[in-house]
Amino acid sequence: MNLGVNLPRGLVLKNPIVAASGTFGFGPEYSSYVDVDALGGIAVKGISPDPWPGNPPPRVWETPAGLLNSIGLQNPGVDAFIQEDIPFLNSVKTVVIANIIGHTVDEYRHVAQRLQREPRIDALEVNISCPNIKEGGMSFGSDPDQAFAVMHAVREVTDKPVMVKVSPNVAEPWVIAQSVVAAGADMVSAINTVIGMAIDLKARRPALGGVTGGLSGPALKPIAVRMVYEIARRVGVPVIGMGGIQSAEDVLEFLMAGAKAVMVGTITFQHPTRMVEIIRELPSVLQRYGFASLDEATGAALAGGVAL
Amino acid sequence: MNGGKGMHCMKRDYDVVVVQRRVIAPQHVELIVESPDLASAQPGQFAHVLTPGMLRRPISFSRIDRAHGQVGLIVQSVGIGTEWLCNRQAGDRLNVLGPLGRGFSPPEAGQPWALVGGGVGIPPLYAALQAWQNTVHVPQVVVILGARAAAYLIMADDFGRLGVEVRTATDDGSAGQHGTVLSAVTEWMGVHREGQMMACGPTAMLQAVYQVTANWSGRTQLALEQRMGCGIGACLACVVATRSPGTHGSQYQRVCTEGPVFDREELVFS
Repeated sequence: MNLGVNLPRGLVLKNPIVAASGTFGFGPEYSSYVDVDALGGIAVKGISPDPWPGNPPPRVWETPAGLLNSIGLQNPGVDAFIQEDIPFLNSVKTVVIANIIGHTVDEYRHVAQRLQREPRIDALEVNISCPNIKEGGMSFGSDPDQAFAVMHAVREVTDKPVMVKVSPNVAEPWVIAQSVVAAGADMVSAINTVIGMAIDLKARRPALGGVTGGLSGPALKPIAVRMVYEIARRVGVPVIGMGGIQSAEDVLEFLMAGAKAVMVGTITFQHPTRMVEIIRELPSVLQRYGFASLDEATGAALAGGVAL
Repeated sequence: MNGGKGMHCMKRDYDVVVVQRRVIAPQHVELIVESPDLASAQPGQFAHVLTPGMLRRPISFSRIDRAHGQVGLIVQSVGIGTEWLCNRQAGDRLNVLGPLGRGFSPPEAGQPWALVGGGVGIPPLYAALQAWQNTVHVPQVVVILGARAAAYLIMADDFGRLGVEVRTATDDGSAGQHGTVLSAVTEWMGVHREGQMMACGPTAMLQAVYQVTANWSGRTQLALEQRMGCGIGACLACVVATRSPGTHGSQYQRVCTEGPVFDREELVFS
C-alpha cells in the first residue's frame, strides 16, 4: 500500500508518521536509535530568534497515562540552529519541519525569514500553543486576531508550506484554526499539550519547576481526536493530528477523525522505534478496517453521526 | 549491532534477563541482569529501564562484572515504575536503553580517595570502587555512607568485603554517627588537604557536599539524579544549571548526556 501523503505547496510525506516537535530534539539525538529516514518526517524542537534558556527543573512529571512537561522551549536560537543542526539534517532523507516560536509577531517573522533561505527546511510549523512560556507562545494561540497576525507575518516572508499548531487550551480551537487559515496557513496541526499541574506531596510544592506544564501521552488522545474532528470538518486545509498516539490503530483513529497525517511524540521516550513499527503495521491495520488507501480513511468518520 | 544503516552505528532498546533478585533493604531490591552490553558500562553510567509507567527509569549500575557480562541494578520502590521493577524475578526480562550518560572519571593515582554515598545513591560508588580499587594505586580509600536508618545503609557489607574503611552515618542514630555524612566528609577533608571525592545521593546531600568542598583543593565529582525523559539527550527534561554554557542555548546541561556525573566546578547548586 502506498503510504505517501500529498500536502499543500508540493510537500510530500513518504508516510503519514512525523516525529512531533519537542520529542525528537534537533534530529541527531535519536538517529542512532531509530531509522530517521524511514519516518514521514521530523519536526524539530521549537526555534526562536535568540537562545531561550528554558524553565527550571524539574521539567517532567509522570501522571496516570500521561506526562506533564515544562521544558520551556529551551533552544539555541535560529542562527545556532542553522549553523549547528542543519548540517546533520542535510544527511536525513525525509521531510524536516521547523517548529518556530517567538515572544512577538516580529520574532515569528524573523525566524520564518531566516529559515526561508534554508532549502533543508521543507516546512514550518508555527507554534502558537506552547503552554510553558510566559509571553508569546500560547497567548497568540488564544486570540483569533493575534493568531491571524502571526500567520500573516509568517506568510509574508515565506513560500514554504506552513502549518499552525493550535492549542487545546481554548474554548473553540477551530476558531483559531479558521483564523490562521484565513491568514494563509496551508495546514493545521492539532493539538499541542493540555495545560495541567501536579503537586509533589513530599516537597509540598508544584511538581514542575515551571509550576504548570503541558500534558501529553495517551490521557490526551480523546481530547485530541475530538479537536481534530471539530477542526477538520470546519477548515478546508489538511489537518495533522496528534495527541497520545501509541499504535497504528491510534493513527487510524486520527485519520478517520479527519487528519491527513499524524505526529507521534511521548511514546518515543518509552519506545524509540515505535514510530517505525507503526509505519510497518499501518497498511495491515488499514486493510483490517476495510480501507484500501490512506485517503479513504481520512475523514471517514466525519460523515458519520450527527454533527451538533 | 542491529540494522547497521550506512555509516551510522545503530543502537536500540533491547531485552536483558534478570538472573538474580535480592531484597537488600526494606523497599530496596537488587536485580542482577545478564547483559554484556550493559557490562561494558563505566561506573556512574546508567540503564534507562522500561516500566509500566509513562517514562523509563534511569538506574545506575551497582556492580559491573565485565568478565561474566552481568550488572547490578538497585531499585528503591517509590512509585508505580520502581514498584514494578522491584517485583521482577529471576528469569524475567527487562527492556533497556544503555549504557547511557557520562560516568565517573577514574581516580587519579597517588591521591587519597573518598566515596560518599547516600541512600539509593550508594550503588554507583560501589561500582566505581570495584572497577578501580585494584587498577589505580591510591594511598588511602574511605567510604562514607549515609541513610535514614541502619536498615537503609545499602551495600555497606559489600564495601566492607573489599577491605576498605567504611564510615557510616544515620539520621536516627541507629548505626554509625548520628546525623549526616557531612561530619565525616569534613573531618576527612581536614586530614587530606588534597585528594579526590566521588559523591552520589539525594540532592540535599549533594548540595551539602558541594558547599563543604567549596574551598577544598581536591577534585569532587558529583553524580546527580533528576527527573528524566528520553534519557538520550533529545527532550531536555533532565537538566541541571551549570557554569559553562551548556547545550541548546542555555546554562543548563543534560544529566542524561553531559552527566549524570559532573565536576563540582561545573555546577551551579543553590
